[in-house]
Formats: sequence, C-alpha cells, structure tokens
Amino acid sequence: MPTVSVKWQKELYPAVEIDTTQPPYVFKCQLYDLTGVPPERQKIVMKGGLLKDDSDWSKLGVKEGQKLMMMGTADEIVKAPEKGPGHSAGLFNLGNTCYMNSTMQCLHSVPELKSSLIEYPQAGRSNDLDQSSHLLTVATRDLFNELDKNVKPVAPMQFWMVLRKKYPQFGQLHNGSFMQQDAEECWTQILYTLSQALRSPSSSQNTDTVKALFGIDLVSRVHCAESGEESLETESVYSLKCHISHEVNHLHEGLKHGLKSELEKASPSLGRSAVYLKDSHINGLPKYLTIQFVRFFWKRESNQKAKILRMLRDEDGRKAGLKLKEKSSASVDNDVKMSDAENGSGESSKATSGEGVVSDKKTQLTGVYDLVAVLTHKGRSADSGHYVAWVKQENGKWIQFDDDNPIPQREEDITKLSGGEPL
Amino acid sequence: MEPEPNNTGSGSGNPKEEATLKVPSKDPKKKDDKKDEDLSEEDVALKQQLELYVERVQDVDQGLQKVALESMRNLAGEIAQEYAKRVNEEAAVKDLIELVEQIVAFHMKHNAEPEAVDLLMEVEFLDLLVKHVDSTNYKRTCLYLTSSARYLPGPDDMSVLDIAYTIYTKFEEFPSALQIALYLHNMQHWMFVWQHVKQVFTSCPDLLRKKQFCYILARQGLSFELDEEMCADDEDREALQEIINNTKLSEGYLTLARDIEVMEPKSPEDIYKAHLLDGRASAGASVDSARQNLAATFVNAFVNAGFGQDKLMTVPSEASSGGSSGNWLFKNKEHGKASAAASLGMIHIWDVDAGLAQIDKYFHSNDNHVIAGALLGVGVVNCGIKNDCDPALALLADYLDKEDSSIRIGAITGLGLAYAGTQNEQVGISFPLHCIRDKLTPILGDPKAPLDVIAFTAIALGLVYVGSCNEDVAQAIIFALMDRSESDLGEPLTRLLPLGLGLLYLGKQDSVEATAEVSKTFNEKIRKYCDMTLLSCAYAGTGNVLKVQHFLGQCAQHLEKGETFQGPAVLGIAMVAMAEELGLDMAIRSLEHLLQYGEQNIRKAVPLALGLLCISNPKVHVMDTLSRLSHDADTEVAMAAVISLGLIGAGTNNARIAGMLRNLSSYYYKEASLLFCVRIAQGFVHMGKGLLTLAPYHSERFLLSPTALAGLVVLLHACLDMKAIILGKYHYVLYFVVLAMQPRMLLTVDENLKPLSVAVRVGQAVDVVGQAGRPKTITGFQTHSTPVLLAAGDRAELATEKYIPLSPILEGFVILKENPDYREEA
Repeated sequence: MPTVSVKWQKELYPAVEIDTTQPPYVFKCQLYDLTGVPPERQKIVMKGGLLKDDSDWSKLGVKEGQKLMMMGTADEIVKAPEKGPGHSAGLFNLGNTCYMNSTMQCLHSVPELKSSLIEYPQAGRSNDLDQSSHLLTVATRDLFNELDKNVKPVAPMQFWMVLRKKYPQFGQLHNGSFMQQDAEECWTQILYTLSQALRSPSSSQNTDTVKALFGIDLVSRVHCAESGEESLETESVYSLKCHISHEVNHLHEGLKHGLKSELEKASPSLGRSAVYLKDSHINGLPKYLTIQFVRFFWKRESNQKAKILRMLRDEDGRKAGLKLKEKSSASVDNDVKMSDAENGSGESSKATSGEGVVSDKKTQLTGVYDLVAVLTHKGRSADSGHYVAWVKQENGKWIQFDDDNPIPQREEDITKLSGGEPL
Repeated sequence: MEPEPNNTGSGSGNPKEEATLKVPSKDPKKKDDKKDEDLSEEDVALKQQLELYVERVQDVDQGLQKVALESMRNLAGEIAQEYAKRVNEEAAVKDLIELVEQIVAFHMKHNAEPEAVDLLMEVEFLDLLVKHVDSTNYKRTCLYLTSSARYLPGPDDMSVLDIAYTIYTKFEEFPSALQIALYLHNMQHWMFVWQHVKQVFTSCPDLLRKKQFCYILARQGLSFELDEEMCADDEDREALQEIINNTKLSEGYLTLARDIEVMEPKSPEDIYKAHLLDGRASAGASVDSARQNLAATFVNAFVNAGFGQDKLMTVPSEASSGGSSGNWLFKNKEHGKASAAASLGMIHIWDVDAGLAQIDKYFHSNDNHVIAGALLGVGVVNCGIKNDCDPALALLADYLDKEDSSIRIGAITGLGLAYAGTQNEQVGISFPLHCIRDKLTPILGDPKAPLDVIAFTAIALGLVYVGSCNEDVAQAIIFALMDRSESDLGEPLTRLLPLGLGLLYLGKQDSVEATAEVSKTFNEKIRKYCDMTLLSCAYAGTGNVLKVQHFLGQCAQHLEKGETFQGPAVLGIAMVAMAEELGLDMAIRSLEHLLQYGEQNIRKAVPLALGLLCISNPKVHVMDTLSRLSHDADTEVAMAAVISLGLIGAGTNNARIAGMLRNLSSYYYKEASLLFCVRIAQGFVHMGKGLLTLAPYHSERFLLSPTALAGLVVLLHACLDMKAIILGKYHYVLYFVVLAMQPRMLLTVDENLKPLSVAVRVGQAVDVVGQAGRPKTITGFQTHSTPVLLAAGDRAELATEKYIPLSPILEGFVILKENPDYREEA
C-alpha cells in the first residue's frame, strides 16, 4: 500500500495510505474523513489528470510519496438568487414625477406595446405626425429599452424633457419646483400620442396598435327625453370610468353607471340645447381594459372601496386585480383609476353587451380579465400624496414600483390595496 | 557607434599637437582613478588621448610606432576599409588581423573597450576579444557589446551576444551570462538556448546562485525542468524547481503589499471617485447598468488582482447563506457571468491553492456561463505558475468537448493562459509534452465547431506554443484558415486565427518566411491581414528598422473601404520598434504622422500602438496625445485612446491619468460603450493597487518576456474591433492581460529565501554604456528599505555594502549574501 501526501487548499496531509485493492472511491472516503469534503465533490488531481471513481490504481501507477492535489469545498454551491433581477428597473423621481414614473411602469408591463414600439423607426416619422409626438414616442421606446436592460434604477431624463415639451402643462412650476400632476391625465396623453404615432403608415387598414390594445368600442344611444330624438353613435375610448357612489358595490355596477351619462347639446328639433341621455353599450373589448375609478362624491373611508373589490372577487370567484390609481381621502374627489385589466374583472357579469367581442381579439373572448397592473395613489388630497405602480411580473409575483425602489409584494396585498394606503 | 564626441573629423590634428607639448609635464604613470572622476568628461577624454599617444610612440613594435603617429581612429577606419576591400577581392587578410590584434590589445589595456570592439566588429573577428579582456574591463566590454547588439543587423548581433556570453562565463558572471542566454532565446532556436542555460547551471557550483538563476528564469516566464546534471541533489533540485515554477510569487507579492499597507480591498467606487466630479455624472445613471456592472466586475478584478480578497466576489460567506458573492455574480447577465466568475481567478492570481478552492464551487453551477467563467478563472489563476499536479490541465481537459460553445471557449482559453509559453521542445521533459496540442488541434479541424471556438483555439495554441515555430500547430491553424467560408472570413473573430499563427513565430524573424509564403495562397479577404500579422509578430521586439519602414509603407496606402490589414500594420510598427528607446521615440513620431494623414482604420489603431509602446510607462507627451484622441469625433478612435490611456498608466496609479479618466467618465456618461472603456481603463491604471506592471520588458529593459508580449498583442488585436469583441460577448479577452502582469517590485531575500529588509537607493537609470571610469548608474535617487516599488526606467542599488546581491540587476527577487569584508562604520 503506497502512501501519498495530499494537498488540499493550504493544508498538506502527509502519509495518506492508499489501498490499491479498493476502488478510488474508498480513497475519497478516506479524504472525506480528513477534510469534510463529500466524495462526489472531490476532485483529485494527479499529474495532469483527474482521478475517476472507476479508474484502476494499478494503471495509474501511484508512487510512494507522490503528491496529490485535492480540490473541492464543503461550501454551498452558488446558485442564482431566487428572484434575481427578475423585474425591470425602477425610475428615479425627478421632482414630483411619481405620476409619470408610475404611469410608465404600468405601460411598460404591456409586452405588445413594447414590441410595437421597438419597430417604431428612429428617423422616418410620418408626415401627419408632429415633431414632438415623434420625439415622445422615441423617448418612450428608449425608456422601455433602458428599463429592460438595467438592474439599477433609471433616470428618465430624456423622456421627462420630451413629455414637458409635448404637454407643457406637466411642466408647471409651483414654488420653483414642478407640481404634482394627475396620473390619469398623463396616462391619457401618453396613450393618445402613442396611438397617433404607432398608426402604421403603410397599410390602410386599422392597424392602430394602441387602439387594438386599449381601445374599447362603444355604441351609444343618445336619447333626448324632451324631443324623443334618438341617434346612434359609435366611438372608441381608451378607458372605462367606474363611478363609485353609494349604490355601487360591484365593479360592474360602477361601470354600468359610467356608461350612462347626461349631456347637454343643441337639439336640432327643439332648436335649443336640451338634456340628452347617453347610454353606451360596449361593442368590443380590447386586450387590455383600462378602468378608471372615479370617486367623485365619495366621502367614505377607503375600506369601502376595498369592499367593492372584494365582492367582485367573491362574485367572479377568480383572481381579480386592478390597476387603480386613486386619490383617496375622506373628503373630496376620490378618483380611482383602474388601468390595464386583463382577463379578470367582472366584464362578463356586466352583460350589457358582452356579445360584442370581436373574434380576432382572442383574449377577450371570455370577457375575463386578469389584473396586470395597478396605478394607485396614496395620500390625503388630490393635489398631494404619492403615486406608485403595482405591476405583475411574468412569474406571477407583484412588484410595487415606488419610483426608484421596486418592492416585491404578495398577491394578497394587491387586493388589500383597493383604496390606496394612507401616506 | 563610438560615443566619443570630442574627437571627430578634421579637428583631430589639434589635440595631438597640444599633446606633444604637454606630455612631459604630466607623468602618465601617476594615473589615478580617483583623480579621473574629479575631472570633467572632456578632460578625462583628453587626458586619455594624451596617454594613449605617449604609449604608442614608446611601443617596441616598429610598425605600430609608425601608425601610432596617425590618429588611432583613422587607423582603425583604414583597417576596416582595407579589410572590406580585401574580402571583396578575396585576398589574404592575415597581416591585417595581426595588426588588429595589436591594436585591440592596446585598446583593451587602456580603457578604450568601445574602440576595440568596434574595430573587431568591422573586421568580423570578435573572437579575439575573449583573449584580451581581463577582470577589470570585462564588464564594460560586455555592456558595450550587449547594447550595440540591438543596433546590429542579424546575424551579427548573435555573434556579438555569443561573445558577451563567453566572456561572462569566463569571468563567472553567471547571472549576466544567463540573461544573455535568455535574450538569445527570443531569436534563437530553443535547443541552442537550452544548452546555454544548462551550461550556466552546470558550471556554477554554488546552490544559492543557482537559486538566483531560477528567479531570473521564473521572471522570464519560461518553464524549465532541471535535470540531474544541473543539480545533483534531489532535494535541492526540488527547491530550485519550485522557484522556477513561480510558486512563491504570490507570497512575495503579498509581502510587498503588506509592507506598503495596501491589503485593504478596494471597491470599484473607490476607483471611480465619482464624488470628485460635478453633479452631472451621478445623476447620469441612465446608462445601461448591466454593462456598468460588468465594468465594475473587471475593475474589481484588476484592482484587487492577486490580493485574494475584494469587496464584491469574495465577501465572507457568513454574511448571508449561499454567499453574497453569488449575488454579485448574478448581477451580471449572460456572458457577463463568465467574466464575473473568471474574475475570481484574477483576484487570486498566482495563488493556485486558494484560487482553485474559491473557484471550485462554481463548477457545480447549472449555468453554462458560470462554468465557462470558472474554467477561464482556473486558467487565469494558474497563469505563469507551474504545479507538479497540473491541476489546470486536469480540470479543463474534460470540458474541451462540451456541447456548449461558451464552456468550450472557457476551457480552451483557460488552457492557453495556464500553459502559455510552456511547450518548448525540451529534451527529457517528463510532462506529456504534446498533451495540449493533441487536445486542441482536433478542435481546429472540427467542421461542427463554431467560429468563435476555432478562433480562441488558435489563440490558445499560439500562446502555448509562443515563439516555438512548431510546424504541426502551424499546419493545423493554416488548414483551419483555409477551411473558413467566404462569409466567415469577413467576421472580426476570424482575424484571431492569423494572430494565433503569428504568435508561434513571435520574435523568430526569418523563421516565419515559409509560413508567410503559404499565407499568400489564402483568400484575398484575409491574405494581407495575415501577412501583416505574421510579419509583425515575427519581428516583434527586434527593433528592425527595415520592417518598421515596411509597415509604414503599408500604412501610406489609401485603401478602399473594407480593407482591414492596416490595423495590424500599425500595431506592427509598435511591436517591432518597442525594442529600444531610440526606435521607440522615432516610432511615436511616425505614429503622430499617421494620425494626421491616415484614414479611419489607421487612426483607430494608432492609440493602441502608442499604448503598446509606452505600456506601464506614462510618458507625458504620449499621455497628452491620447487625451486629445480620447475626445475624437470618431468613437472607435476615442475608445482605443481611452483603453490606451489605461495601458500606459497600467499599474502606476498615475494621478494625472486617473484625473483624465475621471473627467472622461463624466464626459461620456451617456455613452455606454465609451463609459465601459473608461471604466476598464480606470481598472488598468489602478491595477493591483499600483503594484503591477504590464511591461513585457524587464531586467533593465534588456529581456523581453514572450508570453507577456503575446498576451498584450492578443488584447490589442481584440481592441482593433472593439464593437465585435470587447463590447460584444467576448469581453473576457481582457483577461489576456494577465499574461503580462508582474509585480514591479524589488524584494530582497536572505539565504533562506526569507524576505530581508535592506536600504536601497532607487532612482532614474542612467545610460553608462561606453563611459569611462565608474560612473553613477542612477540619478535623483531616494533611499528606501526593501521591498520597494520600481517605476518604469528606475534602477535600484544597495545603499550599503553589507550584503552582496547575487544578481547584478536588482529587480524582482534578489538573493543577498552577507559581505564577509564588510565592516560596520563607527
């Protein structure tokens, strides 16, 4: 039995006996006793070769006093962190721009929008598009790109400048700093710009991507009670409003509410302006349904809203997530916006015009949406407070994007959100 | 050739007349060395002239007396002319040689070695010199011989160096003899050098001195296996072999680091020093952060190279379960993880035991990129170190045939780095010699292997067989090149194939010709490129002016778009001219012209060439040129200039370059690729916290380490197409720089090889070639105690005579022996 010396890291084990009648695995077990490295993790190097478990000692020609080198650690094996940088990056707050950051994070969660933006050309803007819209679209594309590539937070400088240029109202100053703005307004404006820009110039057919993704076809019957006039209008909107009032306990009720409106317009028969009742029916639903919670006249605590959502879930018996932006307070103007709901809010239960789903939009065949993002407001009043975005990740986890700080959240939390946390 | 300016041309008559008048007043026999030193240079020279004159006239030999009336120089010149004429006419030269012998004897006796050497070189009869040197003048003679060898055309330089070698061995100045043998290695066939080295070992009986030889061999990066003739005792031989294997390099380096108190790990932020910039850069975090993380990985690896600890990768694992190093690793994406895992190798460089222990756990990862990085890391950590067990080969060999090409590249590159320069055809070597070749060459012929695998295989083979002129390997690479399809040939990575081929002939001059002929048959897309690369490699480090002119001629052509061969031609200028200072300065000026008149593909190579010429030697005017180019409108030029700023300041901590780069980082804060380059350059400048050098020249700029040069050349060729390689997914070519990394230290050790602190003077080296007396060799010195850092162009000497150094050149590891004659001064 030859004895060898084994070097392991900085230690040297002299005079280890090898029983050449046994397979090398036995030798490894010997070393396991000495070093604590399990045999399967050991690598024994001798003269430019590795010792295999099934090799034959006699062929290896181990000499008396030969030096072997052993590698291997008892440490844990390095694994990729569970979550890793699975979510995209955060966005720096550039001075009261949380509404913009949250809006962008929500929009960013729509992969179709991203892919159509990628195809958007840098240089060739179509003739009917003004320069600032073009720049805004390019900036959106670049920002999305950066969000995807980065792990660390991104400063949306370029986007912010372009947005201000296109919509100067966002550049209002108050006491020398930019004012807090309404995320809903930001959402609407950006979507409008994108829908202009992403209209494919090549084909004549309706290839407006934004419309395909977010547009809701409405058929409205405008009826004048006084004159008995009636007319049908079709229109496409990008979001549904859910008016929240005393009698509204379910989302669909709120939506139904929102589809009825009164408007005053000049009546050709009466020769004066009269009150018309506008009753809209949903004709086609988009892939991403945006719902805005409008909380006018709502004066209760936010837990009431929570109730609404919870009921909704109960009723539908499935996950319902809502992207809601809200200004919750005990006093005025609670307006909660629910954007981007996919497959899951109670559209089917609404049933006003559920049949109007166009077949080429496959996800909404069921009228069931899944919640992908929520834009919510926390704070006391409409003009203050803070916006955050909750975005569902591919792996089903939720991330709360609080400006540059993405915080992982559990799915349950989103339902508790309902009215936005107090600041 | 004769450095005596005060005796030129027609004015030589005058001093002689003066001489006859003044001679009686001075007694030549009262010659005193001390006095000589007090006189000004001019006076010394004049005095010597007078003395020479007197002696000549008094000589017994009638013939010599007669010619002595003439100027000695004129005589020498005439003899040379006469000799040339007679050789042409094939007439007898015997009488001339007799005359020469007398003159040489006379010169040698009277401190006029340069004249004697010059005359003998003219008549091609240097062998005579050996007879006439004695212990008082051999050093000056050899110094003159070795420094003039640089300016001689081959094969004269060989014979000159051979004579110097003979003289050194004759006077038992073995370390110098060994150095000449190593110098010859760069041009000569391996066997020739092997015999010389062996002769040095066998003729020197002293074990301690043999140990010093081993240190010199280790610094050159050559693998030798000592045999019994060289050292009879087994135990001693093992000790010597250990030194050659460089196993103690890490220890010495850490001793130096502890001594100057830089052990504390540094984070990339400590290097970027963003707080010194105006607010803009900090807000500019909008750039691609995956790339920034990758840059931070490299910076971290370079800065903490060899220290075994850092703040990203090796954070103590108790901090959190699973080790937080994993966290940093996974902050890099895709191929970035390969570089991150390999950076562990860099952090533990030269410390094989600790390094492999750290890297080992990454082998079990299920991510291919991480495994690839671990394989590369094994190569990096073993770079320049040999180990009896050959762990690198054992670990990497299994991965060479894996499916995944990133793993293959990792294993192949790792082998290339770990065994760079080891495969010389040495006799009686016990290691399975062609093991690596047998493993790698089949990959070249594998029709299924993707292009990148083949390209890196060629480079790895080039490194392992650097300067070996190995026919089989050359064949394999040539076939691989011929097999490439038309579209492959346009790929930037294909250009690594000719480079691999070129490395086989690095510094071997004419030996390349056969291969160069073959390369003429290549597809025209690559033909010129191949030609330039082969030529530049073959004449690298020779200072051959004709080749420099050839390359300049190539650069003068104005090409159609798409031709790329001018890039290697520009690099070739630098590679050839970097041999000696004069040629280097000329090359810098020529490059300046190329910059003004050249086209884009030349301009982008010029900064890289400048970077190679002044590597780890931040000359102010080059720094200024590069700083200007770093703002160039052409991004590629700017990127090359930024990288080169890092190269010229590599391992120096040069504050001015650091400042420039810091400003560049804010200037380019929006451009991710340029910012990446700036970060890498910052990593270079602070490499090893300022303890390292990338200069391939060492031992007072006399010896060129072929592996170091090879590593740099690969890096620079990769930089010729930044976008495709370094900014693409092959950023790990940056790790090739590891081949050139060496501590720029002087570490004195005692007879037991333990560090010994002594006082040394460190100052700017002075050229003393051909000077009379014992001139000072350094100027503007400061006194330090060892271990001490040596900057480019610095030279050290012991401050006291308490110890005798066993090597005449105080660099790297030097063994000190107590001086028996030393008495403490009261």
